[in-house]
Amino acid sequence: MTGRWVRGRTAAGAVLAVLALVAGCGAVPGNAPKIGGTSVSPARPAGVVELTAPPSAAVVAAPPCDATASLRPSGPLPAAGQVPAGSTMARILAKGRLTVGVDQNTYLMGFRNPFSGELEGFDVDMAREVARALFGDPSRITFTVLTSDQRIPALEKREVDLVVRTMTMNCERWQKVAFSSVYYQAGQRVLVPSTSDATGIESLGGRKVCATKGSSSLVNVANAPSRPIAVAVQDWTDCLVMLQQGQVDAISTDNTILAGFAAQDPYTKVVGPQFTAEPYGMAFPKQDEDFVRFVNALLERLRADGTWASIHGRWLGEPPAPPAAVYRD
Amino acid sequence: MLVGAARNRNAVSRVTGLARSTPGRLSLLALLLIAATLLVGALTAVSVQRRSDALAALADRSEPLAYAAQEVYRSMADADASAAGAFLSGGVESPELRKRYELDVARASAALSTATGEIARSPALARSLSELSGKFPVYTGLVETARTHNRQGNPVGAAYLREAAQLMREALLPSAQQLYQTATEGVIDDLEDAGRWPWLEFLLGAALITALVLAQRYLTRRTNRVFNVGLVAATAACLVSLLWAVIASAVVVGHASAGEHDDAMAKITARARIATLAARGEETLTLVARGNGGNYEQRFKDGAEVLGILLAGAETREPSPVFTSAKTHFEEWQRAHAKVRAADEGGDFAAAVGLVLGSGEAAVAFAALEGDLVQAMDRSRAELTDTVARARGVLSGAVPAVVLLALVAAVASTAGLWQRLKEYR
Repeated sequence: MTGRWVRGRTAAGAVLAVLALVAGCGAVPGNAPKIGGTSVSPARPAGVVELTAPPSAAVVAAPPCDATASLRPSGPLPAAGQVPAGSTMARILAKGRLTVGVDQNTYLMGFRNPFSGELEGFDVDMAREVARALFGDPSRITFTVLTSDQRIPALEKREVDLVVRTMTMNCERWQKVAFSSVYYQAGQRVLVPSTSDATGIESLGGRKVCATKGSSSLVNVANAPSRPIAVAVQDWTDCLVMLQQGQVDAISTDNTILAGFAAQDPYTKVVGPQFTAEPYGMAFPKQDEDFVRFVNALLERLRADGTWASIHGRWLGEPPAPPAAVYRD
Repeated sequence: MLVGAARNRNAVSRVTGLARSTPGRLSLLALLLIAATLLVGALTAVSVQRRSDALAALADRSEPLAYAAQEVYRSMADADASAAGAFLSGGVESPELRKRYELDVARASAALSTATGEIARSPALARSLSELSGKFPVYTGLVETARTHNRQGNPVGAAYLREAAQLMREALLPSAQQLYQTATEGVIDDLEDAGRWPWLEFLLGAALITALVLAQRYLTRRTNRVFNVGLVAATAACLVSLLWAVIASAVVVGHASAGEHDDAMAKITARARIATLAARGEETLTLVARGNGGNYEQRFKDGAEVLGILLAGAETREPSPVFTSAKTHFEEWQRAHAKVRAADEGGDFAAAVGLVLGSGEAAVAFAALEGDLVQAMDRSRAELTDTVARARGVLSGAVPAVVLLALVAAVASTAGLWQRLKEYR
């Protein structure tokens, strides 16, 4: 009796053991995964490209020209709202607002004030003067933020009436757009971390130098005799981000933009001489010659009546003599 | 030793002799029945156990994992939208937006650690999880850097925020989507495992009962007795076991198919919610980009289209007031968004921002839509967990019962045949 009981229990135990074995199958974890994390790909701004060849390889050398020479004003500036019928200005007046392409990332020139959310800066104030001349009201203006390489397409597609965005006048661009007379004279320099031993563009051979896509600065960097590695980004502030994160060794562009960076980061310094001349002009669609002449008349007035000097003083410090206008008629 | 060997020889001759005699056949029959009963009992128990394991895996692992993955995805998309909104509001961000962002970060981290607990079981998750846990701190670091610069009035803050948004779109959200995909596949697999029709149980049980009936017919012919109590009891035990296993399994199959519906609804609402949050992020970033947000606006439109399809699909699958309300709020949001675009394109940037932030029309419609979706999602999830719990309840006790009934059947058939065997002594 006891024996049979024991045998029964053993059998039951065996059955249960078999069950447990079978039921337990299939859920055994595989080999433990490795920990990883041995390599880091740093976060980067959108659309960063390291150039292997100068960006202007496709550019057919533009015929030589006097890049700073614009169209002569057809007379004194008309009063606000009093523009010739059928002109570009009349069309803008009918539209009710002036559409201007600007930047929101270049401190002191065209930037978004983080406190108010408003666009401000030297370029923005210049654009407002154009609106004031047209409408008598500097606020009749719609800003469209453009990156460097969007400036010419936006004008060609007439998405904006004009572009006031640290835009260098050169013969290549004259092929596609029209420029006003020079409203600011800048020059390209180099910004490096304050610990850097670089003394200018000549000592940056083989090192990474940042500039925006479609800017003349990028072409100048890529063509520099010392052969730096040009890194192209979308917006100027992306360059400062990459410099602060140690992803580039230097930023090279116009002194105005660099001054804005230096103001945001005390651990940077502007080094070397100006190695290019960058005359800024407002850019217009190629056909709008009447509007160019109108704005040139406005610029004559701004230079003469001290408005230019006061806007310069507001953003860029003690004003020098305004750049002289040159005309090609 | 010698005695043992003699006994062995004796036993062998007895067995060979017995096999040819009726008592021998009866003994063989008894052995076969014991073996068959125990084997069928074991196989049935294993099969039921697997079903129950699938339900346990569903309740304890894959469903919580899928929920955690959904939560990772959702909170990251929401953090992105909140960060962009805080930036857009200008100056120091509103405490509500900051709080929402902080909550998103906390929930994303908590959900990530829940999901990380599953790595050893599902190595398929390892890649996306290590990407997520490696880059999420980088993301929050970038957002904080952006915030610091913002507070100092440096425009470079906007660039840091864009870099953060880029990291979110390029690395974090795709990984979160991958994680969510893998996790929801786990739920479907477990539901399918639990919802297989119990053919094996049925065939095995039926075969065993047939064998027992045949054995009784054989006995009846040999011994002229109509019933053998032992074998009848064994047959009854097997029948009970069969019915128990098959009926319980069939009920589970029914629950599993209900669960698949709940799961599908949970998935649709989760996807709709994520699409809502992503579209909200794009709407905000369109304004942050200030006239240069064509690609964000395009993504908003694409997202809104997907969202419209998801909501319509949800309403068709399960007509319920919550989806009707979600659809209404979605349409309100679309109308408000059209107003936002009109204001922005007409140059009234401040009005556009006003519509998108705080108690603006677009903000209110978005919040209402999200509220609907949260409600729908929580309900689907509760229904799914409920269904699984009920299915598990049905199966509870089935395995021990099947084992016990198999033992009872084995003992009873042995006893029944033993009675007959005794008559040949």
